[in-house]
Amino acid sequence: MTAARDALPEGLLRGDRRAVARAISRLEQGSDDAAALRAGLAAHLGRAHVIGVTGAPGAGKSTLVHALLGALVARGRRIGVVAVDPSSPISGGAVLGDRVRMGEHGAHPDVFIRSVAARGHLGGLSPSTRAIVDVFDAAGFDTVIVETVGAGQSEVEIMRVADTRIVACAPGLGDDVQAIKAGILEIADLLVVTKADLAGAANTARDLREMLHLRAPAVAGAWQVPVLSVSATQGEGVAGLLDRVLDHGAAGGRGRRLRPGPAASPQAERVFRLAAADPFVDTLGIACTRASAGEAEVRLRLRADHLNFMGRCHGGVVFALADTAFGLAANSHGAMAAGIDAHITYQQAAQAGDTLVARAREVSRTRRLAVYRVEVEREDGQSVSSFTGTVYLTRQHHP
Amino acid sequence: MSETLIPKVLVTKIGFDGHDRGSRVVAAALRDAGMEVIYTPPWQEIAAVVKLATEEDVDVIGISSLATDHLIVPKLMQALREAGLGDVAVIVGGIVPDEDEQQLLDAGVARVFHPGSSLPSIAEAVRALAAAVRARRATA
Amino acid sequence: MNKPIDAPFGLDAAAPGDAGLARWREEYAAQIGTDRAVHNRSGIPIKPLYTAADWSPGRESAMGLPGQPPYTRGIYATMHRGRTWTQRQLIGLGTPAEYNARLQGVLAAGATAVSLIPCNSVFRGVDMDASHVELLGTCGTVINTAEHMDRALQGVDLAVTSCALNDPSPFTLLAFMLAAAKKRGTDWRRVSGTSNQSDYISHYVANHMFFRIALPGARRILGDHIEFCNRFVPKWNPMSVVGQHMQQAGATPAEAMAFTLATAIQNAEDCIARGMDPDAFLPRFTFFFDISITFFEEIAKFRAGRRIWARMTRERLGAKDPRSWRFKFHGQTSGVDLTRQQPLNNVARVAVQAMAGIFGGLQSLHTDAYDEALSCPSEFGARIAVATQNILREEAHLTDVIDPLGGSHYVEALTDQMQAEIERVMGLVEEAGGMYRAVESGLVQRLIGESARRFQAQVDCGEQTVVGVNAYQVDEDRSARPVNARPDPAAMRAHLEDFRAFKAARPAGDVARALDALARAANDARDNVFGRVVEAAEAGCTHGEICATLRRELGFGHVQAVV
Repeated sequence: MTAARDALPEGLLRGDRRAVARAISRLEQGSDDAAALRAGLAAHLGRAHVIGVTGAPGAGKSTLVHALLGALVARGRRIGVVAVDPSSPISGGAVLGDRVRMGEHGAHPDVFIRSVAARGHLGGLSPSTRAIVDVFDAAGFDTVIVETVGAGQSEVEIMRVADTRIVACAPGLGDDVQAIKAGILEIADLLVVTKADLAGAANTARDLREMLHLRAPAVAGAWQVPVLSVSATQGEGVAGLLDRVLDHGAAGGRGRRLRPGPAASPQAERVFRLAAADPFVDTLGIACTRASAGEAEVRLRLRADHLNFMGRCHGGVVFALADTAFGLAANSHGAMAAGIDAHITYQQAAQAGDTLVARAREVSRTRRLAVYRVEVEREDGQSVSSFTGTVYLTRQHHP
Repeated sequence: MSETLIPKVLVTKIGFDGHDRGSRVVAAALRDAGMEVIYTPPWQEIAAVVKLATEEDVDVIGISSLATDHLIVPKLMQALREAGLGDVAVIVGGIVPDEDEQQLLDAGVARVFHPGSSLPSIAEAVRALAAAVRARRATA
Repeated sequence: MNKPIDAPFGLDAAAPGDAGLARWREEYAAQIGTDRAVHNRSGIPIKPLYTAADWSPGRESAMGLPGQPPYTRGIYATMHRGRTWTQRQLIGLGTPAEYNARLQGVLAAGATAVSLIPCNSVFRGVDMDASHVELLGTCGTVINTAEHMDRALQGVDLAVTSCALNDPSPFTLLAFMLAAAKKRGTDWRRVSGTSNQSDYISHYVANHMFFRIALPGARRILGDHIEFCNRFVPKWNPMSVVGQHMQQAGATPAEAMAFTLATAIQNAEDCIARGMDPDAFLPRFTFFFDISITFFEEIAKFRAGRRIWARMTRERLGAKDPRSWRFKFHGQTSGVDLTRQQPLNNVARVAVQAMAGIFGGLQSLHTDAYDEALSCPSEFGARIAVATQNILREEAHLTDVIDPLGGSHYVEALTDQMQAEIERVMGLVEEAGGMYRAVESGLVQRLIGESARRFQAQVDCGEQTVVGVNAYQVDEDRSARPVNARPDPAAMRAHLEDFRAFKAARPAGDVARALDALARAANDARDNVFGRVVEAAEAGCTHGEICATLRRELGFGHVQAVV
């Protein structure tokens, strides 16, 4: 244990700005001691209340975060902000403009803003983003705000990073309520209608309440998801939002991200942990979105560098996605499973910008061998590929 | 497992001048060259630049100066050193009279880019400076 | 035999018919070798030859005559042959006393009007005791009080000499000048000049340095300013709509003209919404444009602008007085075209740009000094700039004929094409809900940024030559470059001490009352904010105090960072 403690840089635990920043860089860059650093942070987590803000582009996330920062600073909080901007799919570079949109708060001594480029990771959240949140937690920030890219796809990743999840929705965005896909409502702790001074805001709020009622009916004793209206530019509703956020934190939200949820099985927890520890998964940008005993679901949004010379998704990428689901499902029970055979058929080509989903399920399992079937589809249900794999179950177990 | 170096660059303006055509074009060019760029509007206070550079752990700071704002760059260099950011590379682009260029280099500025500098040459220089900064930090 | 008046005279044969043109085409194709497609900066394709097939006087887009709508050939009947353009050289450096000395020199050398650029600290809205001392007075004059303005304009009769002040919202420099005039006993009704570049929209979009107060507040103050001047300073031009900033930020000439006209329409409609009669304020609207080195494109841009403005003031704004339809503009040769390499080449560039402005029919001209790209211009350079104008007028006789390029197949065809492109861009702004909304949403900034990037790409790949930069480079003898004048540090220190003493000695009660009235006016739509600014100037308030008060009440002018 002492070795892990030594891995923490001088000054980090007392919140020295430079130490915190350099530690974040080492995690972002995947330096050799990154794993040790992450392990060292583990003992110092749990004090921070992590607030995630997501929503479609144009939903007003940055303005909302700016307003929340003002309210938090006024209440004497120390806030770390992770601001995620999209990377260019062509050049891989990015202009990180979120920080500037947070205005004058960036200069406040109790605010620390770190801008992060999504680098192709789904929803903008990669294993390093999670680690950045941990750094802020360990460094003594009592509040951490994570603002995601918000591509309108399922931002389920945010589930595992934030304690309190805010989904922002602006009125008049066209399909506003329809644009909130299944999966988002299940993870939202608060729904916020931004730009509430605009016409149509009241309708949007009403539609959201109806949808909540239908898809996620209230359970007695559990947190009731509120729909709040905020006009950051007019300064209305911000204090009320912050109150509800803090309520959620106090009602068991704070630190939730670190605890396995009551519904999550040990197998699911194991799968998520294994996925997070897989460097190749990280490189490709694959996200694990669901898991249970013998089953795993992974997703990948295709980038330009996933394509072949014909501009279609490279077969190897589809294989890797299916193989990832396969491997996670096979290892979910705890025994270390090694793949010994795999077959794949390709039904249809996919292209950049598509999101692929691979779902693995167990077909058979004996003492030493197990077989899995993986279906790879586009998010709209179109079948892309089918995969069958066999594993040999070793005598070793995952720690 | 280390990623290929993606330079993190701050492009900003200190002092009074507000002409930002050059800084915006350079920020876009650096992004198109695969770098991660934090871009700010003009009139940043020196203290705010130092705080930003600290938190974002930038490799290179690009200062755009058209009027005579380069005259306070030495103050910025001093502030960076005092904050422990002496290893960050600083470049200045814009209108810098010849007789002031040496002063800037003496104050620790890595390079001065004059009007007519091509965007690819700026991107190349920034990439090299970022690599040097990372290499120095790795061994420190 | 009498030839019809509009037949081309001097040609013995019949006008070029199909046979002659076909032969030219053949010979051209055979001799040209590899021809390349040529476009001007606004994206209009340029042919090697223009004939009557491209434009002839019989067409609907008739040129008209100078002084008559649509004013394509000029807004006045006499144009430069009658009254030459105002030679108005922008100057500003150091302390008011140093400025005054430079001013006297420029007036003696033939300039006919005064122009004042304040220090960048003034543009940012801060007083000299709150600035980095290294930056004071390096690019403009440090004027923070009415007394400073009085000193700067020592020996200038404000009832006679026209003054242009680079003076963004809330127009404190004009307030200081009016206070000084009142003290001298000069009647405000005789004071003439321009609130140069008073256009807050162009500042928000492209010259951020001038943008002090948030958009809605800036809009309000501009309206108050126009109304105040309309009533109390009737010979003053309060509205200078600016195309220069946007063109310098990268807008193509057509875009710059389009955005400027759209801004003028926006400002005019704001005034009409306040109940003002268009014929009461439009005659005092002036324009300020960049003149780049794309010679014919600039000439066509200005001619097209005149036409469009004449039509829009009448049809859209309902102006009946012909003075309202006249597009009056000041042109400044574009600093963006000047290079640091081989700086003396800039003298040639400025001469060409000035010619384009003259042929474009401007009313007032500033020529840049050749060392503009090296730092703030020297006195030596400023003298050459003024001499350039004198040479063009008096040696080259460029003003003896009104609109000499009128009737040229190329210039007229290009004027029509520029008009079409300008109107297309104006259409985009209309769709976005008008210029105010268009800049609020960032549309204009994005379009300008794209044009800027496109141009830079053309230079970087060598498609657009810049002599001395990407072609015809030489190893230069750097010692040949002029040394830059910096303000005398001792004089600036004395100016600063003086200022501190002034603040300590002035009656604090008057200052507090004036700033309080100003703050209340900002929150009362019935009061005139600019009127209170003038009162504050008279009470001894400083520039920084006035700006801080209005920024507090109406919002600080933050700009969007759009990459």
